[in-house]
Amino acid sequence: MSRLWPWLCAASVALSLLMLAALLTLLLTRGLGHFWPATLESVTLDSGEVIAGEAVREIPLPHRDGEERLYFTANRDLDSHRWRWVEINHIDERSTPHALVRLERSPWGDFIGYLTAVESAGSHLEGEAAWQALKTALTRPPPERPNATLILKSAGGETLRQPLNEIHRAYRPNAMAWWEKIRFWSSGVWQFLSEGPRAANTGGGVWPAIFGTVLMVMVMSLIVMPFGVLAAIYLNEIAHQGRLTRLVRIGVRNLAGVPSIVYGVFGLGVFVYGLGSSLDEWFFSDSLPSPTFGTGGLLWASLTLALLTLPVVIVATEEGLARIPDAQREGAVALGATRLEMLTRVVLPMAAPAMLTAVILAIARAAGEVAPLMLVGVAKLAPQMPVDGEFPYLHVERKFMHLGYHLFDTAFHGEDIQAAIPLVYAIALLLVFIVLVLNLTAILLRHHLRHQRGQSC
Amino acid sequence: MLASPNVSNAAYLTHFSAAQSCLSIERFSLAYAGKTALRELTLNVPRHRVTAFIGPSGCGKSTLLRAINRLHDLNENATHSGRITFEGEDIYADNMHVSELRRRIGMVFQTPNPFPMSIYENVAFGLRLQKRISKRKRDDIVEWALTSAALWDEVKDRLHKSAWQLSGGQQQRLVIARTLAVQPDILLLDEPASALDPISTLKIEELIRNLKSQLTLILVTHNMQQAARVSDYTAFLHDGELIEYGPTDQVFTNPHLQRTEDYITGRMA
Amino acid sequence: MTPPSRLHHSTPSGSDPRRQRLDRLATASITVGAFAVLAAILAIGIFLLWESLPLLSMTGTFTLETLSPLAWGTLKAALAAMLLALPVALGAAVYTALYMPPPLRSRIKPVLEMMEAIPGVVVGFIAGLILAPWVERHLASTLVLLVWLPLSTLLAGALWHRARQSLRQYLPFSWAGLWLVPWLVVMTFLALWATPGVEQVLIGGDVRQWLDQQLGLNYATRNAMIVGMAMGFAVIPSIYALAEDALADVPASLLEGAQALGATRWQALWKVALPAAGPGIFSAVMIGAGRAVGETMIVLMASGNTALFSVSPFEGMRSIAAAIAIEMPEAAPGSSTYHVLIFAALVLFLFTFLVNTLAEVVRLRLRIRLSRMGGGG
Repeated sequence: MSRLWPWLCAASVALSLLMLAALLTLLLTRGLGHFWPATLESVTLDSGEVIAGEAVREIPLPHRDGEERLYFTANRDLDSHRWRWVEINHIDERSTPHALVRLERSPWGDFIGYLTAVESAGSHLEGEAAWQALKTALTRPPPERPNATLILKSAGGETLRQPLNEIHRAYRPNAMAWWEKIRFWSSGVWQFLSEGPRAANTGGGVWPAIFGTVLMVMVMSLIVMPFGVLAAIYLNEIAHQGRLTRLVRIGVRNLAGVPSIVYGVFGLGVFVYGLGSSLDEWFFSDSLPSPTFGTGGLLWASLTLALLTLPVVIVATEEGLARIPDAQREGAVALGATRLEMLTRVVLPMAAPAMLTAVILAIARAAGEVAPLMLVGVAKLAPQMPVDGEFPYLHVERKFMHLGYHLFDTAFHGEDIQAAIPLVYAIALLLVFIVLVLNLTAILLRHHLRHQRGQSC
Repeated sequence: MLASPNVSNAAYLTHFSAAQSCLSIERFSLAYAGKTALRELTLNVPRHRVTAFIGPSGCGKSTLLRAINRLHDLNENATHSGRITFEGEDIYADNMHVSELRRRIGMVFQTPNPFPMSIYENVAFGLRLQKRISKRKRDDIVEWALTSAALWDEVKDRLHKSAWQLSGGQQQRLVIARTLAVQPDILLLDEPASALDPISTLKIEELIRNLKSQLTLILVTHNMQQAARVSDYTAFLHDGELIEYGPTDQVFTNPHLQRTEDYITGRMA
Repeated sequence: MTPPSRLHHSTPSGSDPRRQRLDRLATASITVGAFAVLAAILAIGIFLLWESLPLLSMTGTFTLETLSPLAWGTLKAALAAMLLALPVALGAAVYTALYMPPPLRSRIKPVLEMMEAIPGVVVGFIAGLILAPWVERHLASTLVLLVWLPLSTLLAGALWHRARQSLRQYLPFSWAGLWLVPWLVVMTFLALWATPGVEQVLIGGDVRQWLDQQLGLNYATRNAMIVGMAMGFAVIPSIYALAEDALADVPASLLEGAQALGATRWQALWKVALPAAGPGIFSAVMIGAGRAVGETMIVLMASGNTALFSVSPFEGMRSIAAAIAIEMPEAAPGSSTYHVLIFAALVLFLFTFLVNTLAEVVRLRLRIRLSRMGGGG
């Protein structure tokens, strides 16, 4: 038996790798698949009813033999449902007609059905001509579009009048060639990255969340870097290396293990309710009782995360400083350099890669952190971006959107979670991508650093 | 003009007058975290000569060298008593500017420690700390320092390449050049050749002999032959105490004390 | 070449006071900055303590009643996570440190450590919205998998030892961490394919119904088992990294000495490596536990957030961290809920801080001990 135990250890490595690979594959396929124009089916049931939609998945029927299939049928304005479970043995006929159109619209979500006609002042186009007219109209930005109405027909035969200016995208996936699909896919990815959210965060893009995350992380780095580096320099270069310094060092290291939500509570209690309320009383008393700084905002979120990432920066910078041989310090000092000159001319340039690693690690940690932000300033949907053309351009008191929180909110607080899941996959993929790239950069940088040092000494 | 030593105190401790020496150590003791490393040392170092400190490892010779440069300041556990005076000033006095002191008493360490910069920048490092020096003058001094350190011909074509690409011996001569560039009065060498190959070692020794016309040198070495080859005076330290101090010839050929002879002839490891 | 004219001749005690002043100024400001940082860090503890004090003047039972199900939920979630993470993380650490060839190890280790970087919110989403409904539909298969995967590994091992020498050279044990991946995939699909039939034959239907009728166990979609899997996934890398470091720091000479006396690698591990690296592994487990206790988003998204006193692995819970995340934004500052939540945060803070300090102290001791043992590095 003792020969077999090591196999369980080997399997642990295999299992961990498998789980990681499964997670990443899931995110990658679903996240990127979200933008692929899925084939639309027209299904005739044995009751004579016809429905059209995208087949999502099949599961076995509860308590009976056979399977049922879930269709995304959209058209919530017609029958107040978007999903339809269909028993497979009730299906008489399935087809994929080229004329099936999918429209992305603002108030009611997607429409799946047929385009009958396009009506605008005086003109009435039908068939292929109507489709061409729709496509040309959609190439222009919304304000310049003609004031037209689409006449739509659902698969069940109901007719619908749809104003053109509520439509974002229109496509006929069944009629697309593969290269058209790829082009459509790329434009989908681009819209996801560059546009704002729609339909209560269940559709559209995540640009404000990306922007908010990046801005928050930048403000945070500006706060955490100087203080973290100062503290590291103090601990490593100036402090008396006695018991107290060792204790402080252990304390700092352990703060990295304190749950992030605790930092959130601290940020809420001290920054928002404490500092923020006082600032409001002193400088913004005109607008009270509506708070300016006395509520969560970009500044408080950045400060909280700066505190949270402080141990990361201190530990990584100290590691870099400790790696510099004392001979370098003595060499500088022996030439008559003061401590400041030794630090700025020899030690800090040599520690620069370590400090860069530190800031990247801090950013990676902050970009994935959600829990504390929920307390100190993240918003479901921020009405204003924290940067705009209005003086003073950067509004640190405003709430902001954050990718991680956007993911949480879309996944758990939407009205139709099923419909949002593909989008959530895409957000999760983006978030994981950003965090992994940052971490990889830090790892490579550190590796490079050790390698370089190894060669020289 | 050779300094003529006055033999005073004990017959085996040579004494130089204040006029002959630029550095004098009086009853100097040093302890690390309560442990004594140097005990009541008294000696004067003659100007424009090479003085070697020898002794078994742990005898305190490197500690003494570092004390002259106040490098123990970086270690807060070190305490000292007694005086070290440089050109008549107590180097441990409160009004002493350590950085200026260290500029005038240069130090070269056991392992070469060039900075991660170009060769030129390494030599110019100390100059850039001074008040404005024109680029032209700086270039001149860099060339002079490298020439004095017998390195100019080897590096003149790659002054702006990284100093870390040089060989160990070249790196050590670069460090000496870097120290010479700030024109110190004393150069402390802490086993400068112990990490080098024999040929590099010979170059360094030749350099040391040539440099004494410019400044005072103090050499710490565990290599008896090197001390004999290079130095004018030799101090033998043991267990933190000065045992014998005199002209190198005399210390090596006819030491006063049995302990010195034992060490020099290798009977005391 | 003649030496250049002297730069400037000043006595050592009197030169360029500007540089000295600047140096003193910089030292002072670095010190001040560092103390500001330390003060800010200290302020966290002081703030939490100060804001919890008003609770003393309120009725004590109220706090206890609110917090005890939360504390139970926290422990239950952490326990579930550790149950899953510990064997996997420690097994992986042993394998990478002692059996893998160094070049492979230097590639696998960063990959596994990369798992730590995956944000909790992503793991929580996968667990709560994808894994939980799937497990609910395939409960029997999931339970079978938990047993079958280790068993199938032992099977692979047994087969390998019986295999021909040529095959063993082709698939060496030191690479098993990699080539077992496809084996596990195949075994997973085998279990998924076979279980429904077996389920039908053995208990005549759905295992969920059977649990409900025979054992009276209620099954919640988001439950402790799901949290355990998700949080286990999140905790594995931190335990793994530290435990692996501790094992790799054991001097190779010790292991080789034991093997020279005739011990197998596995015996050498138990008799020599584990005792030597024990404190390091202990601190790895502590740090993992600290992380599991404080993790917010995974529990929030995968646990159902019902404050229950239940030991069933198929029921949900609400943890302290999740409760803070949900209730804190709504609690008015100064209200009793606010103070209770701050107290809850204080409990979390103290717990994780103590656990981490313990782990760090133990780890430092170990490092000193190993360096005395001679040349580990």
